[in-house]
Amino acid sequence: MSYVLGLSGLYHDSAAVLLHDGKVVAAAGEERFSRVKHDAGLPVLAARWCLQHAGIAAGDLTCVVWYEKPLRKFERILVTQVAQFPRSARAFRRSTFNWLTDKLWVKSSIVTELGVPPEKVLFSDHHQSHAASAFYASPFSEAAVLTVDGVGEWATTSLYRAGPGGLEPLAEILFPDSIGLVYSAFTAYLGFQVNDGEYKVMGMAAYGQPRYEAEVRRVLRLQADGAYDVDLDYVSYHWSAEDSFTPALARLLGPPRFPGAPFDPTTPEGQRYADIAASVQKVTEDALVGLAGWLHARTGLENLCLAGGVALNSVANRQLLLRGPFARLYVQPAAGDAGGAMGAALWAWHEVLGNPRAAEPVALSTPGLGQAWSDDAIGALLADLRVKHEAIDPEQVPERAAADLAEGKVLGWFQGRFEWGPRALGHRSILADPRRADMTDRINAKIKFREAFRPFAPSVRAGDEARYFDVPPGGELLAEWMLLVAPVRTAELPATTHADGTARLHVVRFEANPLFHSLLDTFGDATGHPVLLNTSFNLKGEPIVASPVQALATFFRSGLDALYLGSFRVEQSQVEG
Amino acid sequence: MSVRAADLPLHAVSWLVWKILPGRAATKMAEFSHTEAGSGLDMLAATEETPRPELRARYFRHALDELRHARLFRERAGALASARSPQGRSRAQAVLEDGGYLASQGIRGSESLFRQLGELEFLAFVWVHEKRGAEQFDLYASLLRDDASTAAMFAEIARDERFHIAYSRAELDRYTKAGATHDVRWAVLRVRGRRAWQGWLRLTRDLGNAMAGLWLGLLYLLVIGPFSLVARATERPVGGILAAPPRAPAAERARGMA
Ligand SMILES: [Fe+2]
Ligand SMILES: [Fe+2]
Ligand SMILES: [Fe+2]
Repeated sequence: MSYVLGLSGLYHDSAAVLLHDGKVVAAAGEERFSRVKHDAGLPVLAARWCLQHAGIAAGDLTCVVWYEKPLRKFERILVTQVAQFPRSARAFRRSTFNWLTDKLWVKSSIVTELGVPPEKVLFSDHHQSHAASAFYASPFSEAAVLTVDGVGEWATTSLYRAGPGGLEPLAEILFPDSIGLVYSAFTAYLGFQVNDGEYKVMGMAAYGQPRYEAEVRRVLRLQADGAYDVDLDYVSYHWSAEDSFTPALARLLGPPRFPGAPFDPTTPEGQRYADIAASVQKVTEDALVGLAGWLHARTGLENLCLAGGVALNSVANRQLLLRGPFARLYVQPAAGDAGGAMGAALWAWHEVLGNPRAAEPVALSTPGLGQAWSDDAIGALLADLRVKHEAIDPEQVPERAAADLAEGKVLGWFQGRFEWGPRALGHRSILADPRRADMTDRINAKIKFREAFRPFAPSVRAGDEARYFDVPPGGELLAEWMLLVAPVRTAELPATTHADGTARLHVVRFEANPLFHSLLDTFGDATGHPVLLNTSFNLKGEPIVASPVQALATFFRSGLDALYLGSFRVEQSQVEG
Repeated sequence: MSVRAADLPLHAVSWLVWKILPGRAATKMAEFSHTEAGSGLDMLAATEETPRPELRARYFRHALDELRHARLFRERAGALASARSPQGRSRAQAVLEDGGYLASQGIRGSESLFRQLGELEFLAFVWVHEKRGAEQFDLYASLLRDDASTAAMFAEIARDERFHIAYSRAELDRYTKAGATHDVRWAVLRVRGRRAWQGWLRLTRDLGNAMAGLWLGLLYLLVIGPFSLVARATERPVGGILAAPPRAPAAERARGMA
């Protein structure tokens, strides 16, 4: 019996993952517990929950693995700031202070917060953690691995060959040349928050054409062999702690969009922003296809594992499949830095502790790896809170919910363990009938209070996806984690079809989530379409709900019609007394 | 409204913020929206953690109130900010969009307030802080008589705060009736003491940070500066796809932080 705990954090999206004899038994983002979106602290609450879930004490752990090398990261920051003298003055004061007072002491923080002996604390490196999170969670016994993010220690892109012998690094691209940081700089330029609004750029791109491709290519310069570099005149992420682009970018593309300004693609200004978003998206896709070409030429392998924040770009993932040389693509649900916790643990299990992989590896089978609450606990809570509710026979839950949905109701859906990764995949979801065109506006405006241009995803029963979507071959594994965009073949799903005729689909296998699968079944029987609109159970700017109390608090503040909390149905009558 | 001498500084500052610097008012409300959301989260955690069923419902309603206040402040701050700057370029808007505010201001840590304080002291905390909040909001409402909708919002919020004061006081009185007079008094004292202590800590922390900033600034000028001249020659590492450097075995590499 061996337990390995992987941890990531102190940048953004901190998380903890517990392996039991090499198998992931618990995985959670710290934000779900702390309720601070993209929580950037040490994942103390998530780590404690992992131990509690397994019923073990910190002393039972074989080792704890931090996802990166703190000293090497600090070195990169210092070296960069030296080179950027004197304009890095503010950033130097800020980051040096943070590092000297906090981040450099991560080992002793882990020792004191979790109570593990120092000799059990190990360190992976940033891109190796990303790479391991994709490869060791994939069903491939051999694969090429590509990791692309903002930056880890020095690397911003790493290329590996992986097989029974582990991960073999082939090459890397170093800071300050970074696809992720350039994407984030454009995210800021387009008026969204860095490390949060990148999805919104992707959503905005659907309203535009890549009319500024040439300009964006002056910032991110792609070379014929798959390499790229960045023209540092346009960006400031290497010397500023506050800004990520310079006035030169505004001279190149026109004035930036201010945060919170309305976005209307029917105005010339809105169209310009949409076109810039589409251009950034296009150049990012070209860069990824170029890197995949390099990797394929060196490895000759058929399978590609992709990780790092850029792998969450579901539009680019489709282009990689269509235009890239690999036959199959795998991305792990938490491809960003949270996933580093999983990768660090898996890497240590296989490569430090020397446990070989199975000859025919089994992929991570479900995203439901977080905390769950029993019906007993939920029932007692509802009684204590004096919230009006109806207890439903657990067998009847799918039927009742499907009937509500067919009637046009929008539901909160809280079932089982919460999801690993940034997407709601049928455990903590808001669900609705995708056939109703008015649903998009209704949910954006009255339920989640978010921007009108953001699309909703469809969840479809496995086996029926081809009826509705053009899933590119080799993308089946991505579609399970909602990491792939595909053209929609029908006009029958207006609420989940984006402005450009695509959808970010979620294919639901029975084994991954039996209850949700049976809901799709029942809804399909009633309406002829086993498809639901599925969006995360949260309000704008908040983390997805984890606990029943959080679900109720979100439910009562939203315009949701009903909430299925385990086997209980709650309506919008306020709390009594 | 009669003003106690001790409250004069607060009144003076508030008057400045709300009457003279309208841009500050929007920013202030954006900040309030975050702190109210933070209290909402504290109350939700208390809802989950209290062993007393009868208090669970109270905490939950209280949480919903605070989260609603957060929304009211957010909407009001947004409206004020966009009225002043339709482009959306304002300090208030930046604070509103700052998803990391709770963490960067130290409002949320990994241990919930309820767990840190326990039931009695938590109730004392609620009572002391709600009272303070209600006084502040009453004052703002009175200063904003010429901005009817903002004043109305403050009045509405102050109404909720009075309910929070009433129930937390009633719970404290229940402890007192049960013979825990001394404990209640202590709890209130400790909360007040902690408030003062945290104010002091904030002050020393800010001072310390300023000192550290100064030292780091000096270090930057005197050490990093000359060093940068030497480093200039190798300013930019070679770009492009570089071969991965050779590595030691995994078990060896896993030991070090570098
Ligand atoms: Fe990363
Ligand atoms: Fe409040
Ligand atoms: Fe209050």
